[in-house]
Amino acid sequence: MSLGSHWRRSAASAVFLLAVPAALQAADPPKILRVTFQAAETGFDPVRVSDYYSGQIIEAIFDPLLTYDYLARPAKLVANAAESLPEISSDGRSYVFRIRKGVYFADDPAFKGRKRELTALDYAYSFKRFYDPRHRSPYAFLFTGKIVGLDELAEQAKASGSFDYDAPVAGLQTPDRHTLVIRLKQPDPNFSHVLAYPLSGAVAREAIEAYGDESPSHPVGSGPFLLKRYTRSSKIVLAANPGYRGKLWDFVPGDDPRQREIASQMQGKRLPRLDGVEVSIMEETQSRWLAFQRGETDIEYQLWDVAPTFMTDDGKLRPEFVRRGIQLDRTIDPEITYLYFNMQERIGEAPNPVGGFGKERIALRRAIAMSYKVEDQIRIIRKGQAVRAEYPVPPGVAGHDPGYRSLIPYDPRAANELLEKFGYRKGADGYRRQPDGAPLVIRNASTPTERDRQFDELLKRSLDSIGVRLEIQKERFPELLKLEKQCRHMTRMAAWIADYPDGDNFMQLLYGPNVNESNNACYRSKEFDRRYEKSRRLADGPERDRLYHEMTRLMEVDTVWLLLDSRIRNALQQPHVVGFTKHPVLHTEWLYLDLAPRSGD
Amino acid sequence: MLGYVVRRLWQFVPTLLGVVLLVFFLFNFVGGDPAYLLAGKISNPAQIENIRRQLGVDQPYAIQLWIFVKQIASGDFGASWSTNERVSEIFATRLGPSLTVLVPLLAIGTLLAMAAAMLVAYLRGSLTDRAIMVGCTVAQSISILVYILVFQYVLAYQLGWFPVQGWGITFAENLLRYSVLAIIVGVAVSLAPDIRLYRSFFLDEINQDYVRTARAKGLSERRVLWVHVLRNAAIPIVTNILLQLPGLLAGAFLIERFFGIPGIGREVILAVERSDFPVIKAVTVYVAVATMIVNLAADLLYKAIDPRVQLK
Amino acid sequence: MSESAILPALPGAASPGVWTLAWRRFCRDRLGLACLVVVVIYGAVMAACAAGWIVRDWSEEVAVTFAPPSFLGPEAPRGAPAAAAATAPQGALEDYGIPDPLADDLAEIAQELSGVSASETRAVTLAFGADKWGRDVLKKAVKGTETSLFVGLVAAALAAFLGTLFGALAGYQGGWLDDLFNWLYSVLTSIPYLLLVLAVAAVVNQKGVLTVILILGLTGWTGIFRLIRAEYMKHKVREYVLAADAIGASAARRMFVHILPNVSHVVLVQLSLHVVLFIKSEVILTFLGFGVGVDTVSWGSMLAEAQSELILGKWWQITAATVAMAVLVSAFSLLTDALRDALDPRLK
Repeated sequence: MSLGSHWRRSAASAVFLLAVPAALQAADPPKILRVTFQAAETGFDPVRVSDYYSGQIIEAIFDPLLTYDYLARPAKLVANAAESLPEISSDGRSYVFRIRKGVYFADDPAFKGRKRELTALDYAYSFKRFYDPRHRSPYAFLFTGKIVGLDELAEQAKASGSFDYDAPVAGLQTPDRHTLVIRLKQPDPNFSHVLAYPLSGAVAREAIEAYGDESPSHPVGSGPFLLKRYTRSSKIVLAANPGYRGKLWDFVPGDDPRQREIASQMQGKRLPRLDGVEVSIMEETQSRWLAFQRGETDIEYQLWDVAPTFMTDDGKLRPEFVRRGIQLDRTIDPEITYLYFNMQERIGEAPNPVGGFGKERIALRRAIAMSYKVEDQIRIIRKGQAVRAEYPVPPGVAGHDPGYRSLIPYDPRAANELLEKFGYRKGADGYRRQPDGAPLVIRNASTPTERDRQFDELLKRSLDSIGVRLEIQKERFPELLKLEKQCRHMTRMAAWIADYPDGDNFMQLLYGPNVNESNNACYRSKEFDRRYEKSRRLADGPERDRLYHEMTRLMEVDTVWLLLDSRIRNALQQPHVVGFTKHPVLHTEWLYLDLAPRSGD
Repeated sequence: MLGYVVRRLWQFVPTLLGVVLLVFFLFNFVGGDPAYLLAGKISNPAQIENIRRQLGVDQPYAIQLWIFVKQIASGDFGASWSTNERVSEIFATRLGPSLTVLVPLLAIGTLLAMAAAMLVAYLRGSLTDRAIMVGCTVAQSISILVYILVFQYVLAYQLGWFPVQGWGITFAENLLRYSVLAIIVGVAVSLAPDIRLYRSFFLDEINQDYVRTARAKGLSERRVLWVHVLRNAAIPIVTNILLQLPGLLAGAFLIERFFGIPGIGREVILAVERSDFPVIKAVTVYVAVATMIVNLAADLLYKAIDPRVQLK
Repeated sequence: MSESAILPALPGAASPGVWTLAWRRFCRDRLGLACLVVVVIYGAVMAACAAGWIVRDWSEEVAVTFAPPSFLGPEAPRGAPAAAAATAPQGALEDYGIPDPLADDLAEIAQELSGVSASETRAVTLAFGADKWGRDVLKKAVKGTETSLFVGLVAAALAAFLGTLFGALAGYQGGWLDDLFNWLYSVLTSIPYLLLVLAVAAVVNQKGVLTVILILGLTGWTGIFRLIRAEYMKHKVREYVLAADAIGASAARRMFVHILPNVSHVVLVQLSLHVVLFIKSEVILTFLGFGVGVDTVSWGSMLAEAQSELILGKWWQITAATVAMAVLVSAFSLLTDALRDALDPRLK
């Protein structure tokens, strides 16, 4: 070959070699999803966080044993790091998990250059960490009291000052590297949901011990993403984990046309499709909304305050947004908000005018419940983006009954008559007094935020319509929590969002022994408790539904709560976001999304 | 003079002690129990107890107070109760963004205000003077909240000149892209009051005898202003800025919050909301020490200007 | 200017006092007079609101949610109206075996009250629009004057009183009193304002107008203190004070009868400045959540609501509150300037 042609050929191949990557580069910019959090995160160590936003990042970085089917509604458990759903023994107390082989943690200096495989021991270690008193984990309640032998170990740790992670535990056994056997103290049909919770993902002991107190900012997991860059309370950048085992998008859509559309676009693709996720912390709604409209973020679903700007009155996206190709995904959050009455006879040392089971007290609570303008709350405060809640178990959660009708109507005129009947006569100042003549003052506790101020105003208008005097007690949030756990509020608005998609998570809010924990109305009723304990042993089905009906009616008849609403989540996505539908339980959908090339790229 | 300085430095101690006691009282009796917040949705009294033990708030007050004093001496306030980040880390990382906005804001704002005030002082008594002063008054009567909301809406959204909010990686990016709107709002808000203030400083000087003498000597009005008055008015101007600094750092929280700037002011709000005592302690002590130093400097400057003032 | 109060007025040569001269100078300033008139009008509005002569019905919901101002016309409906709540009269509700103790009473009441209650008609536009509950924005702005101006005046008076008292004692007496007040001053100014506000807010457990006044007054006296202290230190060595000392006037008399009148112009100007400052501070305090209660309206509460309204395009509440506040604050500031000019003519 002559020198000239050799050179020519080399030059040609050189140009080709340079051009191809350049061409590929131009055709394939990294797929980075940009989203926002409306409140700052606190950290990414599963045992140290309690806020929702940190939970979202943890879900992306760590690998729980189980997860949920992306499309199935109501939510259905499927295997994740486990090979399949657990083998549960006939007495319901023993769970056997087989961990997938060949799953690796993301590379990290703590592993000293070796690839680190995920084993059953990692899960045992991760669960034990919830019991370590040093971590004071806010989500310890998911595990405490359930696994044989661990509570005793925790007691020992309190006495000795350090938790013995190497001590054998009867309830957490690992017969071989990839088998985990969990033994529970009593059968718990909902325990599998705990193992799908993002905080139950596996952490590596070497990484935790290497980073010590810095572990919240150095998460090392085996999930689809890893933490690439982190500016506290400002920006969190995730990158796809190159060592992730991968997943296949193969979910079966329901009848919903949106689900069918997503399935047709995503079926058979290998996940994750995204190269990374960029999270910006934006506390103000104005900032988030403006950023989305300018195309600076891809998905936005924290926009309750501005819903009327993009939604019509009948729940559709406004035409100007439809024209721009903005997609809307509309779901009801698995949550309830309710107004609770303190059911105790006394609050601290003073008598409680709304508490107790006497007929005139029930009448007072019932009248207040009948006077509250729930429709105004939905129309004005929620801006139409909520549905009335009539049942303690919200839609999308196992045990929900859409046919149940509440006993308590909105009827201020009847409420006034009821109060007259039971001796709550109006005094000279126009406000009603108690039957024995003592003044009647309802005290509602709330935070000094603008948001709570709206609810206070609505409550005042409602109570004014039946002539009952209202006083607002303002406390900052930590103080409110403390007083609530001590049963020192008279009335308060509360909300509960599902930790796992089962009605038990909501019914336990009224269970007697949970007073000072999650039973914030401090309600103790033998009738209710009896039925609740029976319901705990049942799986979701008609028998449990019957019990739930009776329990709900009991709650209404005693008028412990006034159920208010469940919010509608409107998730907006830019036109190039593919495959998004808000999952009722999963914190994020990032694993299951794709980004189409943007027009003009 | 030396005696005065020593006496003032010596007074740092009781002042700091007063601050410590006040913050300690504030937090323990009225600040809200962080244990319940850190305990999460479902917690029982045993867990609350454990949290309080881990945080060290179950110890008797005297011991907690002593630990606080030791922390001040060593400068190490431990780690944040909610994020576990070391408090010193928090300050080191948040100081940068705060200063990236604050320093240009002060520089540009002061220069603009001084120029405008000089002009108005030169034209004193004229219709222009009155018109500008009335304009400043009106501008000053609008709340900073309104400025932030409207500027963000018009400049960032409607016109698209700036990002709505956020923070970048490199210093250049932060200064030239993300800080600009915050600086503009800050300057807009501070311009009117500064012009009024500096005008009064300038006029104070102009009415001094030495100015009359200079004019009598035949110096032009311009020279009088730029050389003599400016130099002397610079002292109260600089003093004024110095005195504001410690308060500004922690007080810029509104701007930081709306524009997503990860600075100290925003951190203070977060700490207060979460009852995060280590961060609150550190901020209070740092600001207290800075304020005391700056106040001493200002007092010494007063003495330097007006020898009639007796510093006892 | 520093006319001695101890020399008896010479008969037949009654020279006008400081204040008379100042008033005459003030009257010559047209702008100042105009501002005084504006401030007096606002004061009258405040008094009328407090007495209940005007806008007593400000909290009535007379219009639809966010009714626009009349000059804009009513809002066009957006899509089909929400399906009317299907409150079909329920047949006998299933009782699931749980009896209701109130069932009989409620049945009786239902029988007594038959017939549909009249639905109220609401206006679709108001002069300057309505807020989210349908309350008249103009009426709110007027009623807000009462709260905001009252807070500003009383808080400023409190701060001025404390600052002057402390400043006089510290500046005149010196020694340990000076040390004490300086210590108090240092401690209060060293703590970040937010934390200080929290402290006072938490100690004064009741929320409301009184709390806001106490917060502002108890934290705002420091600026006045510093100035008055410097003034007293300056005046202490002046001849007229030394003379008063020589004739045996007591310290208290010297402080408050002799020196105070000569620094009162500073106090007045500071008082005026602080009224303005506190009216603006009330807005920030309300935004932070330490403001007035639920059944009180102030410009601060209107602006706090406005944050979520502006982004929906509802600009009338923020405009009304801003304009009302701007007019008063501007007038007050210009009045302060005119006062200052009138009291110290050298500053012209």
